[in-house]
Amino acid sequence: MSSSFYVNPEQLVNDKAQFAQKGIARGKSIIAAIYDQGVLMVGENTSASLNKISEIYDRIAFAGVGKYNEFDRLREGGVRWADNTGYVYSREDVDARALANFYAQHIGDVFSSDTKPLEVEILVTQLGNKVRPTKLYRIGYEGTISDEPHFAVVGGEAEEVKRRFAAGDGKVESLVDTLKNCVSALAGPDRTLAVEDLEVGILEDRASRRTFERLSDDYVRDLLA
Amino acid sequence: MGLPLFDAVSDPGPNFYELISASGHQPFTGGTHDEQIHATTVIAVRFREGVVMVADRQATAQYVASRDIRKIEAADKFTAMAISGSAARGIQFIRIAQLSFEHYEKMTSSVLSLEGKANFLSPIIQENNFKSPLYVVPMLAGYDPNHNVGRIFEYDGAGGCYERADFNVIGSGSQFAEGALRLGFVHDMDLESALELAALALYEAGDNDPSTGGPDFVRNIYPIMVTLTKDGFQEIDSDVVGERFRRINDRRAESRGIAGGQLR
Repeated sequence: MSSSFYVNPEQLVNDKAQFAQKGIARGKSIIAAIYDQGVLMVGENTSASLNKISEIYDRIAFAGVGKYNEFDRLREGGVRWADNTGYVYSREDVDARALANFYAQHIGDVFSSDTKPLEVEILVTQLGNKVRPTKLYRIGYEGTISDEPHFAVVGGEAEEVKRRFAAGDGKVESLVDTLKNCVSALAGPDRTLAVEDLEVGILEDRASRRTFERLSDDYVRDLLA
Repeated sequence: MGLPLFDAVSDPGPNFYELISASGHQPFTGGTHDEQIHATTVIAVRFREGVVMVADRQATAQYVASRDIRKIEAADKFTAMAISGSAARGIQFIRIAQLSFEHYEKMTSSVLSLEGKANFLSPIIQENNFKSPLYVVPMLAGYDPNHNVGRIFEYDGAGGCYERADFNVIGSGSQFAEGALRLGFVHDMDLESALELAALALYEAGDNDPSTGGPDFVRNIYPIMVTLTKDGFQEIDSDVVGERFRRINDRRAESRGIAGGQLR
């Protein structure tokens, strides 16, 4: 007859948290910041095809750090949820807060019930309009969700990057200035990041309904020049 | 709906139609004994730089159900969907096509080819027309940026997909429009000739088919005309379309309603 041993829940949670943190710490950070015309997301990514920053819906974007297969499945679930919600109701009814809550619930459920927690941290960002506000939601590996007012960071060196970015004057600036601040916050004092190793996406109102745009290396180079 | 997560085996991939079927929607089954509302004539003509499309605005049951419905919509930047048959199913069909192409793009970070879009619709048309009396026959046309050419795809009621090298017409006004198109079509037409031919063919359909609405000078409602070129889907301003139909109408009034021995 087999019997399961008693494990102190506090120890279990701590062990899981430590495990997830270790996984996430291996990944590079991603920063999302509000600028005067929209929302900017910048991350370090040496791959040009395995994206960390993606479009979810007309005014919603996603960024994930940690294990690629785990956050990419979450991204897919988000696209599916958004497209289905817009189909059943209306495009106006697709809201980042609802999606961020689903993510938080799912990640939290996996953390408490599965053997292995998800080694991911994600950002859900929304460009505001007349109906909804501009929002940055950060969801941690244990399902904690936070609503960040001006900028948000996920990933290995999140605290460092956060401190460096917050050292600026905190004003909402142009895309160029915000991008420069984000890149220097990611790089830190001792490194310079090559444009090829950056992944940059924005949500900005232009002519089309879909506001997400992935910025090309050439365009980013021009902006940083 | 909660967060739709699947394991790798049951994953519907980038297919939006499979996704909504998996979540219990069955958009294309069942029917009704109520009187059905039909959408009618849509024309597509290839020309040198792409495709021109024109559609009348009338929805018809035993009466005029609507004078200003839209039977052509952009499915994405370079593609247009047009519908004939059941208006209810047609409009739903357009929504599903639009969402499916965009869904695929977001899921895979790549755009479906024009032929891929055309083939994707075949089994959905088949499913609807076999399972439901609410018959729908759509048409897909677009500019193919992979091959720099305008292309038109026609469907039959069983979902068979056929590419057309010249022009295509769907709906109850087809035979009248087709007559004009057959006589007037020339390969590699310029934009103006293509617009004029398409407008004239629609005028003929409106003149002869009671379910096709011609230009409505009383209410200022005119057919929808669009172009699909390297610049994407572009709708021509209603006033400009109105003027074109007014000129055709004036010519026709001059010859007392007879086309007059040539395409005019």
